Amino acid sequence: MGHTMVEKILGRASDRPAVRAGENHAVRPARMIAYDFPGYTDVMFRQMREDFGITRLQDPSRYVVFIDHMLTKRNDKETEVHQVTRDWCEFYGIELHEGRGIGHQLTAELGLAIPGEFLVHFDGHISGVGAFGALGWGIRRDLIEAWVTGQLFVDIPATTRFDLVGEFPPGVDSRDLVHTIIDMVGADGCAHQVMEFGGPGARAMAIDHRQGLCGMAMFTGAVSALFEPDEMSLAYAHQVARRDFDPVRPDADATYAARYTIDLATLTPRVVLPGSARVANTKTAQELAGTPITKAFIGSCASGRIEDLRAAALVLDGRTVASGVELNVVPTSQQVYEQAEQEGILDVLRAAGATINVSSCDFCFGYQKPLQAGENCISTGVLNISGRMGSPDANIYMGSPYTVAASALAGTIQESVQ
Amino acid sequence: MSAYPPPPDVIEGKVAWIFGDDFDIDLVVGVSNIKSYDADHLRSVCMTAYDPSFADRVRPGDIIVGGRNFGYGHPHYPPMVALRNAGISAIVAESFSPGFWRGETFNGMPLITIPGVAAAVTVDDAVALDWRAAALRLPDGTELAGTPPNPRTVQVIEAGGSYELLLAEHARQGQAI
Repeated sequence: MGHTMVEKILGRASDRPAVRAGENHAVRPARMIAYDFPGYTDVMFRQMREDFGITRLQDPSRYVVFIDHMLTKRNDKETEVHQVTRDWCEFYGIELHEGRGIGHQLTAELGLAIPGEFLVHFDGHISGVGAFGALGWGIRRDLIEAWVTGQLFVDIPATTRFDLVGEFPPGVDSRDLVHTIIDMVGADGCAHQVMEFGGPGARAMAIDHRQGLCGMAMFTGAVSALFEPDEMSLAYAHQVARRDFDPVRPDADATYAARYTIDLATLTPRVVLPGSARVANTKTAQELAGTPITKAFIGSCASGRIEDLRAAALVLDGRTVASGVELNVVPTSQQVYEQAEQEGILDVLRAAGATINVSSCDFCFGYQKPLQAGENCISTGVLNISGRMGSPDANIYMGSPYTVAASALAGTIQESVQ
Repeated sequence: MSAYPPPPDVIEGKVAWIFGDDFDIDLVVGVSNIKSYDADHLRSVCMTAYDPSFADRVRPGDIIVGGRNFGYGHPHYPPMVALRNAGISAIVAESFSPGFWRGETFNGMPLITIPGVAAAVTVDDAVALDWRAAALRLPDGTELAGTPPNPRTVQVIEAGGSYELLLAEHARQGQAI
């Protein structure tokens, strides 16, 4: 009986040839990643030194920290948290990246998303590294276990396989795919599992879209998602990876909890109602057409990459955002920002009336320009729970960059005409 | 984030509340209170949307029961702090949302999966939960069986949470790792 990609990756991480879904093992992540956040990292830093007496790390290269939140305002408490982070990283000799963009994207750009390797973070959107055939798992406060012991105990997840065929029609992308999947399997349809993507449709999908899709895995209940490595993802990985790697692929007779085939050509634009990504909230953009909006946001670790900005530019080129609508764009990283500038994409967006903001997480979690009570926002952010982007009395709809751009032009929710 | 005392081998109490499928944990205190860590404030708002007398009638040992995918949504901690402070000692559900399961298991709360539980109990039922065996004894003496937690999770709960277990296993090791 063959193995899934997850069984092979976690087998390696536990020094076994392979492990089976349902077993519980201690596994050793290749990278243990965090961004600093009050109440999380500052507490863990102190615990590691004071409670566990750790003063030296055997392999500091396994620890990576990003400062990608709380960069756009100056607040004494948060300034202090950033300084604690810098001091901690310096003390242990840990790699720290500050102000270069969203860590989940930098993990790929910096060559840390290595095919076949296991990465952990306290934040679940680390699953985006699955685009490269790496396994990223958001372990929440169990990160302290990994930091202190170098390993952590996990239940080996079962896998649901998605065979993708066809290609996205114009105006549709991975955001529409993930919400179609939620509609299909349920918001807990892959609970405690990993989603595995393959097939000709997967191979035709841009890397950016794969990252966006894998990064949203948690909304099916999955703990992660990954793509079978192919020519496109391996070419990227070879270009940036800091060491040789040995990608894994699923065996033909791997055991799956469920298996689905999806024809990407049949997908239509989706919009998620405020509150959560649950099935009842997942609608077609057409069903919600005409819903008024005052704010529009394109960015986040799911949807601010170059393909997303190209999509927005395609829709906005030569047009102007509706009066009374504020469109904010946040390229996912500084590198994406610079590429978009060079390609002339940002000029197109600016000419349409968009404001281009520095690359950070701050818009997505309501730190920068928080929504006011009564406002409706359409967003490519990762979460639309009440209060996520500001007032608990504002409404956050989620859609693809095509849909957000088209809605910003109309002043009401619209599917893209592209 | 606080550590909790380990539960007894068999948790005896009553069913304090039964939630349906996809219950969003934020609703325990309401979205406007999910950033509060003030114990008195959380007590004053705990479950008021469902039952204003909840915090006064709950006793240590009581459990809450959920349907499928309990804890769906963003697993904030204050709602769980509020339930703990009210006396809730365990949650038994048809299934749990993964983020909630990991976050609250870290805190040492027994989250026990028992299929069929939501339909088998009513509020105020006196029950006994053998959390290691995932066995729930109902007032009529019948027993529902679920999926026992794995040995590592048992250790976590016995220790009063992951952090307490880590401290017991690795505190002050004073060496490189």
